[in-house]
Amino acid sequence: MDKDGYIQTWNKGAEKNKGYKASEIIGKHFSTFYQQSDRDDKKPEHELAIARKLGRAEDEDWRVRKDGSKFWANVVITALHDSSGELVGFAKVTRNLTDRKEHEDSLRQANRLLQLQQKELQQLNMSKDEFISLASHQLRTPATAIKQLLGLLLEGFQGDIPDSIVSVLQKTYQNNERQIAIINSLLQVAQIDSGKVVLEKSNHDINALITKTTDSLSEIISTRDQTLTTDFGSSRAVSNVDAQYIRMAIENIIDNASKYSFDGSDIHVKTEVEGDRVIIMIRDNGVGMSEGDMLHLFEKFYRIPNDLSHKFSGSGLGLYWVKKVVELHDGTIQVESELGSGTTFYVILPRAK
Amino acid sequence: MRKILIVEDEDILRETYLMIFSTQPYAVDGAENGKVALELCNQKKYDLILLDIMMPVLNGVGFLENYKNTINADTAIILLSNLSSGADLQKAAELGADKSFLKSDLSPKQLISMIRYELEAST
Repeated sequence: MDKDGYIQTWNKGAEKNKGYKASEIIGKHFSTFYQQSDRDDKKPEHELAIARKLGRAEDEDWRVRKDGSKFWANVVITALHDSSGELVGFAKVTRNLTDRKEHEDSLRQANRLLQLQQKELQQLNMSKDEFISLASHQLRTPATAIKQLLGLLLEGFQGDIPDSIVSVLQKTYQNNERQIAIINSLLQVAQIDSGKVVLEKSNHDINALITKTTDSLSEIISTRDQTLTTDFGSSRAVSNVDAQYIRMAIENIIDNASKYSFDGSDIHVKTEVEGDRVIIMIRDNGVGMSEGDMLHLFEKFYRIPNDLSHKFSGSGLGLYWVKKVVELHDGTIQVESELGSGTTFYVILPRAK
Repeated sequence: MRKILIVEDEDILRETYLMIFSTQPYAVDGAENGKVALELCNQKKYDLILLDIMMPVLNGVGFLENYKNTINADTAIILLSNLSSGADLQKAAELGADKSFLKSDLSPKQLISMIRYELEAST
């Protein structure tokens, strides 16, 4: 182009790009390639001014072909000077980036769509949590009332009942207990999933917490002829925790260990202090699990199929909840297991300074 | 006869508690929310109050904030709560509730022996 922007030379590439033959375009102003709106805005003149001042101007925008169709172009205008430094014209290189532009646009659109979908999913998830919470609240009252009313019958408040009816009532009672346990698990999980759990943390001796937990579990464990032993290392295992939540989490793991062990076996709880961590190990020599099952162990509603799992009621929510609780304490939970020889859970909590 | 007040918004639970206590030598009143309970507490001196936390009109925490102004200021209060009332339980304990039990944990016999124990402790 000359120094005013009139086209002086034309090559095959430019012809292919824009559709003009050299004879048709030489001598025309380069603003021919701009959209009308850009010409109205004096964009071509503006770009030349920049190239004149800075030596170079670059732009990425729509340009127009001879047939009126548009293409997305990267345009670089470079000022050309003679040996004395006088401006003699401009070199202009135009690259057709329509394909890239289209890809970028479709990527951007896909991204927007994904963001929208993600938002919708989040909202759906929230309303699902709210629904579970609401439904469980509603279910809990009648379930509790049934427990009390069955209790009135079973505990003899309404007089003697024939044995044949007692056994039916007992089965009803057991299933009502199971129902209550599931409702409570659902509520706990809904609460922790909603992010509304506020931990009341303070420094606690983990060994003392475990002792309280094992004391409260000893009755149920002895009904299975199992033993529960503990081994606390010599260092003080102090961690900054919400005692109630951590107790419930440990109780949950020990109860699982007991459920998935045969009558007469031993469940061993051990603590160790290692640097800035308190490690709680809960070991059983029960049925154990396969590597495949271990992968899904902490997933919601996952129950491992084995000889003992059908014997006990469970919602498949316990370990999911436990993991969430441990993580809320900046801790981790790990598991080692072998089919037929038992399972060890490791709960690792930060040690209080 | 020892007097007990049961504050519980769910009709079926309140009626069941009344049914359980009717087997015992206690005079039992029921209230369906904290407001009704406060009105009763202005008229009658109770030996024990069983209090639910989550209730419409005036909840358990609201009741505890006001009962000290009634003639029942020194009456023992036991919370019958649900698992989900964690933060409220803390507040209730600070406001003077003596103990709390999970509703779904107690069988009628356990409920009665718990109340018998509390009544003896408060004499």
